[in-house]
Amino acid sequence: MEDLSFDVYEVFAQSDSLSPHVHVFNVLASSVDMALALAEENFFRREGFINLWVVRRDHIHQLGFADRDGFKKMAKNYRVTEDYKYLVDKWRQYREHPMTANGAKVRGGGEDGTTVDSGD
Amino acid sequence: MAQTAAIGDRDAYFLERLDRGDRIEAEDWMPEDYRQQLVRLIAMHAVSEIMGALPEKEWVPRAPTLYRKLAITAKVQDEVGHGQLLIRVAEDLMRPWGKGREDIMADLFSGRLKYHNVFHMATPTWADAGIIGWLVDGAAVITQGMSLSCSYAPYARALGRIVEEEGFHIQHGESICMALAEGTPTQRTMLQDALTRWWPALLMFFGPPEKSQLSTHQLRNMRYRIRSKTNEELRQRFFTKYVRRIWSLGLTIPDATLAQDGVTKVWTYQQPDWDEFRQIVMNHGPRSRARLDLRATTYQEGTWVRRMIAHHSPA
Amino acid sequence: MARTERRSIQEIKDVPDLRVATQAVLFQLADDDMVIGFRDQEWLGLAPHIEEDVAFGSIAQEEIGHAAHYYELLSQLDLGSRDDLASLRPAEERRNSVLLERPNGLGTYLESPHFDWAFTIMRHYFHDVWEMRCLGALTQSAAIELGLAADKILAEKRYHRAHQELWIKTMLDRGDEQSQERVKKALADTNEWAADLPDFGGQECLFEETRIVPGASTLSTSFWQEIDAFTGALGLPRPSGTVTRLNGRRGQHTPALQEALEVWSEVYRLEPGAQW
Repeated sequence: MEDLSFDVYEVFAQSDSLSPHVHVFNVLASSVDMALALAEENFFRREGFINLWVVRRDHIHQLGFADRDGFKKMAKNYRVTEDYKYLVDKWRQYREHPMTANGAKVRGGGEDGTTVDSGD
Repeated sequence: MAQTAAIGDRDAYFLERLDRGDRIEAEDWMPEDYRQQLVRLIAMHAVSEIMGALPEKEWVPRAPTLYRKLAITAKVQDEVGHGQLLIRVAEDLMRPWGKGREDIMADLFSGRLKYHNVFHMATPTWADAGIIGWLVDGAAVITQGMSLSCSYAPYARALGRIVEEEGFHIQHGESICMALAEGTPTQRTMLQDALTRWWPALLMFFGPPEKSQLSTHQLRNMRYRIRSKTNEELRQRFFTKYVRRIWSLGLTIPDATLAQDGVTKVWTYQQPDWDEFRQIVMNHGPRSRARLDLRATTYQEGTWVRRMIAHHSPA
Repeated sequence: MARTERRSIQEIKDVPDLRVATQAVLFQLADDDMVIGFRDQEWLGLAPHIEEDVAFGSIAQEEIGHAAHYYELLSQLDLGSRDDLASLRPAEERRNSVLLERPNGLGTYLESPHFDWAFTIMRHYFHDVWEMRCLGALTQSAAIELGLAADKILAEKRYHRAHQELWIKTMLDRGDEQSQERVKKALADTNEWAADLPDFGGQECLFEETRIVPGASTLSTSFWQEIDAFTGALGLPRPSGTVTRLNGRRGQHTPALQEALEVWSEVYRLEPGAQW
């Protein structure tokens, strides 16, 4: 069998200028120009794109098999917005019943004397 | 003659692409003036994030509970991460000039490159860390939200990531302030004092109001679709978004004149001292020198580490 | 008790031997991670390379996250809230290794921080290896929650150790003579204070008998074997013997711990009982 040698180029496409390039697939080609031309016709017969990257596969480095196993992180609730959802209710509560200057919470439009907590 | 015409055509074509809503990538041709405007803006933004980590950093090891310690570490880490994104964007733009990150940092330390006024201010209490998260980051999201439509794509993409993370930052700040507002008299006093301290700096954040005409920088940035709103428009948005919330916690904003017109919806307010603003950004603010020294000391002492991991490290 | 029997913290609470052993190992782990996390936090915003600043910021967070998890388990033994345990215990009740309370260098994180990156990494590497040894043993612990915690935390520790190993190798391979000297000095400085790191303050027998930490008495040896294998392969001989000084596992500490605790708990102590 004849030994035909190509390079593998990984193809990345961008759907709009604010989005990242996303990996699509790969093509066999012998030059960057060829890879770009082939990628267009192989992967974008239907959907559009605004930009393409091709990268020779041997220029891509990835985590090893064992490292990928070690990359399981514990949940970091304190840094995701989910953990702070309770604030929505708080803001609503104080919009409807603002605190006074001494921090007391006023019942619907009441004067300072009617301050009570949110026990109800 | 023909050549001049060709360059003129190139400029016109560039502007026409911008007007069509197309965005520019790092390797694309761009007018030198456009590049300069971007570097001016983005390098300043980058070092503001890098220096902006420091005021809150003062409270990282002192945060009251384990939860707050974790959250504020994450928050300050994000700020450094924003500095990383932006300094990368700025570096790529400066590459044709043969310049890079070390030049940006050197310009910061020498005072040639300014950082944002708010990060020159003192943070004497835990409540200052809360106010920064809630209102300084809140103000930042308003200006950065405008820049999401910037014509320079790498900056717009970096800002997309940044604004997404700011959502957590603001909530983190709100959460701290809410706990203080609902807390003991000492805690409330701490919060009120911090708000009083930060109010003028928050107004200054957006820059001086435009009188009848825009500065040449602003005009050019608008022509290049780098920015789309004036300082005053952004400040007005900030008032609309935050003033009533601040009041709802029973806090006093140190400006008795602050009010919104019922018809025009425009806020009137007491102007901060704009001469003081100029002094602050010239590194004559309360903590300007101390923070620059802090960052410069560690950055310069870490040169051996960067030299070692750099490509041209000595054998 | 059958050797294979495993119990929950709720059950352990009422069995004196198990309780003492569980409490003791948790205080060591929690205090170690708290104080190293504190030292890591001091670097935040000040690391030598911006990308590394972000990376090291994760390690700081994870150390404090692990400490929070251990303090949480301690609070389930009715010893107080996790925040009280983390912030209100005086220095003499702390069980962290003295090595981990050593400052990052001269100055403080607020003023003139002349921090030592090589020492920071080397000291952290020692800590990572030791904690991983402990967690490896704890995966077989008679205390169910300790086993679960070990599985979860080990995954993050692997990344920490790999991070420090990479930096140590880089400093030796890519650095000039000066940076190689820095690594050697970092190893000597770390080693000098490391005597109490792989130590259980004399409770190894209890840990083994109760099977709270199976094989506790062998961990110190395997710790030094791993350290010496790694440094040896890099041609970086460890100075012979550690200098026995204070033993943090017995509550003996340097003034550096007291200073750290004052910073750590400054706000929490302002208003006792307040919500933050």
